[in-house]
Amino acid sequence: MTSSSTDTGTIVDVTMPQMGVSVAEGTIVEWRKQRGDWVEADETICEVSTDKIDTEIPSPASGRVVEILVEVGVTVQVGVTLARIATDARPGEPHSAEVDAPPAAPATPAAPAAAPSPPAAARPAPPAPPRPHPERSRRRYSPVVQRVADEHDVDLDLIEGTGREGRVTKQDVLAWVHARSASHSADGEPEPVLHIESPYRPGAGGSVTGPYVAPEGRPLSRMRQQIGEHMKRSQQTAATCTTWIEVDVSRIEVARKQLAITALPLIARCVIGALVDFPLINAWLEDDVHTVHEQVNLGIAVALGEDGLIVPVVRGAQDLSPEGLSRRIRDLARRARARQLSPDDVRGATFTITNPGQFGSMMATPVISQPQVAILDVEAIIKRPVVITDAFGDDAIAIRPMVILGLSWDHRALDGALAARFLANIKKRVESYEY
Amino acid sequence: MTELTYLRAISDGLRTEMREDERVLLMGEDIGVYGGAFKVTDGFIEEFGPDRVMDTPLAEAGIVGTAVGAAVVGLRPVCEMQFADFVSCGFDQIVNVAGKMLYRQGLPVNITVRLPSGGGFSGGPFHSQNPEAWFMHAPGLKVVAPSTPEDAKGLIIASIRDPNPVIYMEHKNLYRHVKGEVPEGSYETPFSARVARPGSDLVVITYGAMVHTALEATEDIEGASIMVLDLRSLVPLDEAAILSAVHECSKVVIVDEANQTCAAGAQVSALIAERAFEDLDGPIVRVASPDIPIPFSPPLEAAVLPSVERVREACRDLLEY
Repeated sequence: MTSSSTDTGTIVDVTMPQMGVSVAEGTIVEWRKQRGDWVEADETICEVSTDKIDTEIPSPASGRVVEILVEVGVTVQVGVTLARIATDARPGEPHSAEVDAPPAAPATPAAPAAAPSPPAAARPAPPAPPRPHPERSRRRYSPVVQRVADEHDVDLDLIEGTGREGRVTKQDVLAWVHARSASHSADGEPEPVLHIESPYRPGAGGSVTGPYVAPEGRPLSRMRQQIGEHMKRSQQTAATCTTWIEVDVSRIEVARKQLAITALPLIARCVIGALVDFPLINAWLEDDVHTVHEQVNLGIAVALGEDGLIVPVVRGAQDLSPEGLSRRIRDLARRARARQLSPDDVRGATFTITNPGQFGSMMATPVISQPQVAILDVEAIIKRPVVITDAFGDDAIAIRPMVILGLSWDHRALDGALAARFLANIKKRVESYEY
Repeated sequence: MTELTYLRAISDGLRTEMREDERVLLMGEDIGVYGGAFKVTDGFIEEFGPDRVMDTPLAEAGIVGTAVGAAVVGLRPVCEMQFADFVSCGFDQIVNVAGKMLYRQGLPVNITVRLPSGGGFSGGPFHSQNPEAWFMHAPGLKVVAPSTPEDAKGLIIASIRDPNPVIYMEHKNLYRHVKGEVPEGSYETPFSARVARPGSDLVVITYGAMVHTALEATEDIEGASIMVLDLRSLVPLDEAAILSAVHECSKVVIVDEANQTCAAGAQVSALIAERAFEDLDGPIVRVASPDIPIPFSPPLEAAVLPSVERVREACRDLLEY
């Protein structure tokens, strides 16, 4: 259990941490350290998966890993001991991380005095990418500078300060944000789309010369496996039906431009209003237990490139304005893409919106995220000729931005009439949107 | 519009309101036959008679106490303290009687107490003080401090009409030094702040005579865009205007002519620290008189009171921060 050079050491347990209020267990994905390895305090010792979120577990202490108790792939409860670390272990064999460890006693024979590099250089490289100006990370920023930086997602270390002793002033950070947005709009680089159902790109490949070589199969990624398992279980569990409605989004388009946000948070705001009117749809069905929620926790599907997709949750969405929803959705999407969501960010959705229409697709039959009873699919907004009736009852053909909303709903929990009334409620809210 | 001095604007406001409302009467030391130590009420006794322009004994407690009684039976007395410094003799009547009458007995005390305040003319420790913060600390009172002739007239009329006891700070150094256009007839200036000069790099928040000091000090500091916010009313304090100015400028200099500790500017500073923390791009800077009596000696007095140079230096330093 202990390495040969370790005396009766102080043993520190590495336990499965509580990673979110609703998380009870986690699965070991990878051990970064093996038995016998030296680990620094706060260095990642292993990676743990809960639902779709992978979390790096920092070591609680510096020392040698003397025991690994839970193998990769095994799921254990919060609090279970995963590994043990001997904290007063001393290097037996040289280990790169140990070079700068202070000698325990003058008599220690293994102190590698011959190491030519200074101690700092021997430390393991931090996992974060190197900062362009490491000396700046000690700078202090005024409250307004920090607020502006947070609001605009600015790395303050990148900014040259013009204040006293190089302090970054409010004017400096505002000018930087201004310059960035100017260069962004010049690049014409669009925001990444929230949800890409089909990553297929035509035109790739082309003529293949030479003898045909059968491609080698590879196992699905864990995320794909989890998505697949979840979707399959939903289809086996729910009696899924889909109902569509066509909606004129002219008023949303105007409001969107006024508020400088996307259409999604505005449509989401209408959907939330409809959910409050139809609480039976803001609900969970677990076996024969139907739980109706007062609070709307809105799941928003976010594509993670080719890896898969994840559905972070906007909690208490009924209390948010379209601008507030926009901010929360952007924040969640940004953190999802940066793989920075916490397990709580993806739990407890009472209803889900998926928005894969950025490529012009018009209709879909989304799969319900269990145990919710419905999911709304928002497709592409497309200008179409439609028949409108004016105030005098006269009909005319007009060009209007239209969208098809598809609601997949669980026939065990509700019937088609309710689904249709719910969609009609959304349609009415969207088409009479007050901006 | 006519151009009046600050002093004449106060006279004009008093006269206008006395002509419009016969419940308004004046009380004070030598305000009648002599016309007041500073001649604010010169000629009033001839126009309104000794019943409405009352010369009183040298007894501030008596002046304010009598005024409180008169207000309770429906009159609208305006008391003059010959110098603001003397108000301490009437302190109990203002703070404990007038300020709490509505709370204790449900009786509004519609009095106005005029306090000729401030230094800058070698008046020494008994004739130069700015005691407005004493009254800001006492519930039930309003405190106003106009900086321009137009506001001096509008605020004296608004104070007389306000049903609460109002402490009206009139700065002696502005009396004859400041002139301005004053609307004719009757009008009220609201108990809220005024942007004396718009700007976006830094805001100087002040009131009374220091508004003029601040305007002069910040006229041109290397082209910086400097706002000057004239509070005009200290109670109620225009929190929205202060927070909005801080949001806009992010750097704040607060100027008080009063002694620094617990001055009006201390309350402004606390408000900003509590409610505008995330708007700040530098420390809140205060310029005020040190916590000492105001000296007679002209060079010493000039060293004690916030000067144009001190305010300018404070702004320049904060701009560079």
